[in-house]
Formats: sequence, C-alpha cells, structure tokens
Amino acid sequence: MSARQSTRPRRIEDALSQLVDNLTHRFSFAAAEDDLSDDEYEALALRQQDNLDRSWRLLDAYTNSNNDPTSPNGGQGLGVTRRGSLAGGENINNASDLIKRKLLRENASPDKAVRFSNLYSRLLTQPVLSQKWAILYLLYRLSTPDDYDEGFEEDGVARSPPVEPANLQNILLKGQRRQGMGPRMAENSDEEGPAISSSVSQLPARLERKASQRRPEREVEGDPELELAREHQRSRKMSDAAPRDPQTEGQGVVQFQLESDNQEQLPQPAEPGLLRDLPFNLQGLSSSNLEFSSSVTLKLPPTLPIPLMSLLNALAEPCLLYKGLSAFVDSASGGLLNQSLRAALSNELRSYLGLVATLEGEIRRALAAPENSNDPKSAAKTGVTLKRCVVWTRDATMALRLMSLIVEEAQNKKGGQLISMIHGFSTSHGDPFVCTLAEKLLAHVTRPFYDMLRQWIYDGELSDPYKEFFVVEPELSPSTDPRRIATSVWEDKYKLDDDTVPSIITQDFAKKVFLIGKSLNFIRYGCGDSAWVEAYSKETSKELRYGDTASLETSIDEAYKTTMARLIYLMDEKFKLFDHLRALKKYLLLGQGDFIALLMESLASNLDRPANSQYRHTLTAQLEHAIRASNAQYDSPDVLRRLDARMLELSHGEIGWDCFTLEYKIDAPVDVVITPWGSTQYLKVFNFLWRVKRVEFALGSTWRRCMTGARGVLGSVDDKVGSDWKRARCAIAEMIHFVCQLQYYILFEVIEASWDQLQASISKPGCTLDDLIEAHTKYLNSITHKGLLGSASSSKGASNKHQEESFLSQLHQILKIMLAYKDAVDGLYSFSVAEFTRRQELSAKIETRTAQGRWGVTERDFISSRRPHGHKSSVSSLSTPNIGATADDIGTPSSLVNHDLSADDHMLGSLRVRLRDLSAEFKSRLNILLGDLAYQPDVDMRFLGVVMNFNDVYEPVRKRRATTSSRDKERLRRKAAAAGGSAENSAQRKDKRDTSGAESAGN
Amino acid sequence: MPTQSDDKRQAAREVIDILHEISTLLNTNLDRTDLSLCVSLIENGVNPDALATIIKDLRREDTAISRTVADHEFAK
Repeated sequence: MSARQSTRPRRIEDALSQLVDNLTHRFSFAAAEDDLSDDEYEALALRQQDNLDRSWRLLDAYTNSNNDPTSPNGGQGLGVTRRGSLAGGENINNASDLIKRKLLRENASPDKAVRFSNLYSRLLTQPVLSQKWAILYLLYRLSTPDDYDEGFEEDGVARSPPVEPANLQNILLKGQRRQGMGPRMAENSDEEGPAISSSVSQLPARLERKASQRRPEREVEGDPELELAREHQRSRKMSDAAPRDPQTEGQGVVQFQLESDNQEQLPQPAEPGLLRDLPFNLQGLSSSNLEFSSSVTLKLPPTLPIPLMSLLNALAEPCLLYKGLSAFVDSASGGLLNQSLRAALSNELRSYLGLVATLEGEIRRALAAPENSNDPKSAAKTGVTLKRCVVWTRDATMALRLMSLIVEEAQNKKGGQLISMIHGFSTSHGDPFVCTLAEKLLAHVTRPFYDMLRQWIYDGELSDPYKEFFVVEPELSPSTDPRRIATSVWEDKYKLDDDTVPSIITQDFAKKVFLIGKSLNFIRYGCGDSAWVEAYSKETSKELRYGDTASLETSIDEAYKTTMARLIYLMDEKFKLFDHLRALKKYLLLGQGDFIALLMESLASNLDRPANSQYRHTLTAQLEHAIRASNAQYDSPDVLRRLDARMLELSHGEIGWDCFTLEYKIDAPVDVVITPWGSTQYLKVFNFLWRVKRVEFALGSTWRRCMTGARGVLGSVDDKVGSDWKRARCAIAEMIHFVCQLQYYILFEVIEASWDQLQASISKPGCTLDDLIEAHTKYLNSITHKGLLGSASSSKGASNKHQEESFLSQLHQILKIMLAYKDAVDGLYSFSVAEFTRRQELSAKIETRTAQGRWGVTERDFISSRRPHGHKSSVSSLSTPNIGATADDIGTPSSLVNHDLSADDHMLGSLRVRLRDLSAEFKSRLNILLGDLAYQPDVDMRFLGVVMNFNDVYEPVRKRRATTSSRDKERLRRKAAAAGGSAENSAQRKDKRDTSGAESAGN
Repeated sequence: MPTQSDDKRQAAREVIDILHEISTLLNTNLDRTDLSLCVSLIENGVNPDALATIIKDLRREDTAISRTVADHEFAK
C-alpha cells in the first residue's frame, strides 16, 4: 500500500485525505461534542483510515482499467454503482447536457435549467479549469433530487417497494458479470424471458406458465372475493377506443383494496418489468406482460394494482395506434396522394420510433442503476417510471391519435378530398398542436398534387393515373357522334370536377387553373402550336409547393394571362376568328347590301321555279357573279372561299325561294367559338332575313311596275280599275312600310347593336376564349331573340305556348299574306293590261269601221254580249250580293262591246274580293302582332311596335286568353268587314261618279 | 507578479463561485471546501466517476456511523 502511495502525486494525496476528513468529520465533530468513549473514537479513526484506503483502491481501480470485471466492491453490496461504460463513452462531452436534461426533468419550471445555462456559459469563459466537463460530470453524479435528502437521512431499507426482486433480476440479466446474485436469479428465472420477447410462438406458453405459477400463491390467501376479482380482471381486455368503462372501474376498486393488502406477497409483473417491455409494446410488439390479442386489442396482465392499470391503459393507446398506423403505412394501394400520405405518416412514425429509442435508453439506464436492494431510491433517482413514460409519450400519443384519425377518414377519400380533409384539420382545429401536425403532413401529402398542378398549368397535360386531380377527362360514350367530339375539343375534352377541388385552393382559383390547362391543351392540339407551349413551359415552369400561397397565386395569374393572351392572339392572327365573325355578319346577316341585292336580283327568276329544278351549279354561278360584281370581291379570298350557296332539304311543292340558303363554312379550331349550334342560328337568321328581303324585293318590283304602269297602261283604264289600284297602292305602301321597319329594326336595332356589344366585349383586355365564346353566344341569342325568332317560347309560359303563335310564325303569316297580295296585284295588273288591250282593239275596230264607212258601234254588238252577261250577273248577284258586281252591271257601257266581257268582269270581281280580304287579314294580323309587341318585356321589341305604328293607324289588339282571343278575332273580323264595306261603298260611289263622268265624256 | 497571482486567485474564486452555484442547483450537498478539493483533484487527473463513487461511498459510511452513534446514544 505504501509503495502504491509513493507513486501517487502528492497533491492528490493531500486533497483526498482532506476530502475524506471533511466528509467524515461532520459526524466526528458531532460525536466529539458528546462524550464519546475512547474506543469509539478509536473505531472512528480506524474507520476513517479504512475509508481512505478504500477510496484509494477505487481510484486505482479506475485508473487501471475501466472495464475491470471484478469490481473491488463486488460482493459487498455497498451500492457503489459503477457505470464505466456510460462514463467512458459519449457522456463525457455532454455533461452539461446531462445536467440540463436532469434539471428539466426534475423541475416543472425551466428556471433552474436556464440558470444553469447561464452559469455554464460563464464557466466556459473562465480560463482556469482545464477539465470543465469532468467537474461538471462529478457534480452531475453527485446530484440528488430535492426530495431525496430526507429519504437519504432516514432509513433506506424500510420503504422497499414491491418492485425490488424483478428489478434486481433485470440487472442480473443484463450484467452477466454480477454473479454474486446467482441464487435470487435462479429463483425467478422462469418468469423472465430474454428482453426481446416478440416471438409469438413462445409467448402463450410462457404466459400460461406464469398464470399457473401465480395462482397457487394467491390462493394461499383463500379469499373468495379475490378469486372473483381475478377472474374479472383476466377477462378484461383493453382497447384504445374505450380505455376505461365504468364496469372495469368498479372492479378496479375491489382489486385495488386487495392489492394493497397483499402487495408484499403477490408476485406480479412489476413496474420495472413493464418498463423494460414498454419500448417493444410501443412498437406494437407483444411482450410477456402485454399481449396484442388482435390488431385493436391489447391484453393487460390481470394482477396489477389499479393505479398501474390505469397507467398501462394510457400507455396502451400509443401501442395500439402505432400498430394500426404501421399496418396502414405498410399497405400498398390507392393513388399518388394516398402514397404520399403514407410516406408522410411513416416519416412521423420514424420520429415516434426515435422517441421510443431514447425512452428505451432511459429505461435501460434506469434499470441498470439500482443494483442494491438497500438503495431503494435508485429507481426514483434515475427518474424513469411508468408515470414518466406516460407523460413523455403524451405528445407522441396525440400525434398518433391524429394520424390514425386522418387514416380512418382517408379510407374512402381520394385526391382533392383527401387534401381538403387534412387541410380542414390544419385550418379549422383549435388545437395548435393538431394544426401544426396537419400542416406538416400537408406539405408532404400535397406534393404529388402540386406536381400534377404544375404539369397542368405549364404543359397543359393531365398526368393523373389515379384520377385524383380536379380536372378530369370524361370518358367518351361510344354513342356520341365522332364529328361532334372533334369539334368540342374545348368544351368537352376536360371537365372541372367540383367535388375534388381541394380546399387549399379556392373555387375561383380552380376555375382559373382549369382554364389555363385547357387553353394550353387546346393551343397544342387544337391549334397545332405545340412549339410555343413547349417553349413556354420550359421558360416559366417552376416548382410549386404547399405553403407559399402568394407566390403560387402570382405564378398562376401570370400563367393565366400569358396563356389567354396567346390563345386570343392565335385565334385572331392565325385563325382569323374576328374576320370570320365579320364575314358572317356581312353575308349571312345581310350586312353587305349590294351583294345581297345583286344576288337576289340575279337569282329571282331562278328561284321562282319549283325547288326540285334548282341546280347547284347555277346557284354557285350566280353567287360568283354576285361576288364579282359587288364590293364583296375585295374581301379576302379565304373568306370568299368559305361562302357557299346551296339548297336546304327539299320538300315537295316548295319553290326555290323557300329552300335557298347561303352557307359559311367554319372549320376547326374556330368552330370552338362558332359552334355548330351557332352556325344553325346563323342559318336561321339568314333564312328569315332572306325571306323578308324577298318580300321586300317582290313588293318593290310590284310597286315599280304599277308606278311605271300608272303613267301608261293603267292611266287609260283608270275609269274601270282606278279605285282598285288606288286601294292596292295604299295596301302595298303599308306593307312596304312594314317590311322596311322590320328590316330596319332587325338590321340596325338588333344586329348592329349586338355586334357593337360583341365588339366591345371581345376587345376587352384580358379576354379569354371562354369570354369570347360566351360573348358570341350572347350575340347570337340576342339576335335570335330580338329578331323575333323563338322569342315567344322563351318569354311565355309553356301553357300558353301552344295557344299563342310565336312571333316567327306570325311574321311568316304576314309575309305570306304580302306575297299573296302581291300576286293578286299582279293579277290586277294583268287584268288592267288586258282591259287596255281590249279597249285598244275596240277603238281600232271602230276606227276601221268608220274608215269603211259604217257605224263604229252597232246594236248587234251590244245584244250579242248582253245576254250571257245578264244571265251571269243575275247568278252572281244571287250568290253574292255584291254591290261592286251590280255596279259593274250598270256602268261601263264601253266594255260591253267585248264578247268575253262577262268572264273578265267575274275575274275582276274575284280579284277585288281577294285583294280586300288579303288587306283586311294583313291589317288584323298586324294589329295582333302590334298588340303582342306592345307587351314585350324587351324595350327594343316594344320600340319596333311603336315604329310600325308611329301615327296610330293601327289598333293593337292584346290577345289574352284563347276565349277572349277568339272573341277579339270575331270582333276584329266584323270591324274589318265593316271597314272593307264602307271602303267598298265609297269606292262604289266614286265608281259611279267616274262612270257618269265617262258616260258624259262618251256622249 | 503578485498582481498576476492575485488575478489567478480571483479567477479561481470566480470559478468556485460558479461551480458552487451549480452544485447547489443540483443538490450535491458539497460545500465550498469540498468543491475546491474536488476541483483540485480533478484538475490533477482523477477520474470524476471514481471521485463521485468515493464521495458517495464516504457519505454512506458516514450515515452508517452516525446511525450507530445515534443508536449508541439512544441505548445510553
């Protein structure tokens, strides 16, 4: 010993002895104050020397070898715990960390830890010490928890907790070198498996054995109540859904009392055992005490005191949740978003496993620490208990609970709904913990979504193998007309699925995104400009991520603007959309007046023939002629090429006018705007306008003829048909007024106004293709609606629909009447011409007779024509009390010379009737139309009524119901007849005057 | 020279102050003398683990002695 002492540095020797003195003298002094006997004092001194020696031995042992298997204090059970492995390892350098952690663990408030941090940083600045970590480590090792002092002062053995034997055993199992404890280990060895007890095969057997072993010992107590309680406990299963129900609580009370009585004697899975198994349980593995009987139930050992039971209940939750979650993470199904959710969850689970690993480290150290049964406080000192574990795992449990909730809800959700669900957690949950976790998950989960989004808004490609994006490609039903599909690239190729729009983006935003992608796709496939799309995507494509909503929004807005501008540019420059619209207006809506006039003039004679004698080549030839001779020739050849004249479907008995149509051919991609529906609308409007134009043309030509005729032919027969012509001219003037107003209204009030609106809306900045389509549709609608086409059905209820004639059919009726009237006037004209010829002939005859020297007019001439005429007139006067006819009878002696005079008279009569009827019907129909117009909600249409009836010539009739309408009609007819009669009367009087005038002239 | 040693002493006192505060934070039950002794021991290369063991050992011994003393007195 002395030899060894000599090798030691002196300073250490001094210091050590001083220290030993210091530490032991406290009691020595205390003892010295009392009167101690000498031998006692001697013993004290001896003991002190002994202490010093032992200290030296310890020091030497450490300096010689840290891993010396035979510790010098080995068998003495003095509780000197040597943890060389810990001290020698990584703990050296983070002594400060150890202290900090300890302080945090043992104190509720972080004050002490903060104070320590300050002190530590101050210490670091001091240059004096070279072994700062060592002194800190020493302090750490020496530190005791607050409550430990008292326990240390008083008796250590008395409060031996029931955990003791198993506790020791664990240490024995871990540290094989402590062989001194052999016998105790043998005693309980069958209860202890290896630490990793996850193998299922050996588990039931061991449990069985344990149960059988435990039972006899408990039955020693002989308490029947206990037996009962144990039976209950054994059948008790625990699941996280219902950790505690009232029933088990009640049983627990009984059990608790029993346990407290029998605590000492009952061999039960003690806390350290449970602690040791805990890491495995937390990873979802069964252990000797806790067994997973199924994926959602965990069996707790039946013999635990109720406090432990409740702790285990709390701990069982993360175990079960983890098991369920890991099963979900390992499964492989679902779409991209599901997979990413799984990845995010497994990430979270990894951090959970990290927690479990540190927990295991703590537990192991704690279990390794108390080697001595005399030192009961060791477990408390190292600070790992089930209770602590519950607290430590609480955050993790929350996270697990939330994740399993998410997993549960994600079961039948996909794509955007999944994102919405998680987003719901992150935005509408009051718990900040839940929010942050959900937010963290979202960042991962949304990645595939944002990838899809990026591809969509930069490439216009939908790469969505699992149909999770909110843009879907609807399946094409085979019944759809393939041609229709080709033309509806814009409308039908992609659809926006509102259900799958995730709540992280707004509905507006989704629409924008949808439009961007659709436009890009359309540019690429519809317009054949994929080069631009590629260049664009290369240039602007950037990564989109969850979180920076602002930059996402700006980038999408930018993409939106660029794409839309490009699309409009393409439509305008490459496909000449606006030129086409203009051409449509010019040719189909009769905007190009000279062209239409020319076409009509050249086609008129052709179209008067029946429809089946119309030939396409003549039509196209006339069209060519019209184009070449009008200003249309200066239009671009592309536009003119598309113009075509053809016949509509032939139906029997129609003449060329009814079937002729102009056509403007539209092809892709412009047909996105001017849809097939739009084309038919154009055709409808054209046909209507063409008809009006035709009537105008016919009336105009008739008017011209009777004007020119009035100066020549008609003037000479004025005495006979002058009043008819007068009336006819009035009626025709009325009709021309009507047609002119109608045309004016349609062309200027309707088409031009709508065109102006269309121009305004498509030349707006930031106009999209959708806007274009919408504006064009609106344009067509307003034209067809205001142009009196199809307005009745849209503005009136379905019930009235059948009773009320639509404006279109009313107009058609009126136009038909006009044509018929025109025919009748033509008939009158030819009659007048015939009359004129007759008179010419008669006067020529008289002239020749006079030249021959005979009487110009003989008696014979009168008689020969008198008889049949009288007979005829009596019949006609019987059948129709026609005043005009009798007037005919009486007057016009000059006409009597002709032998077919009676037939002519009859024709004139019927012509007059016809003309009168037609004009009366025209008026009545016009009144009805005006009545309808006056009550239109549309201002422009009311205006049309006002224009037509600007001087209140007509009396608009309002048809309200079928009954009143018929009554009205009745009254109207009567009124018209009366008006016609009075007109007839006045005409007759006039006739009489005329004839008398003629007679006097003749005489 | 004396100023330098003064400085040194001052620094040492400061270090001991700090360490003492830490030790009270940690409930080590060491007074300043014990602490300075420990510091000097460790500065001279003593294993802190060993030192901790020794101190604990001594304390335990101490308690035992005090108990025997107390028992003795009680017996008396």
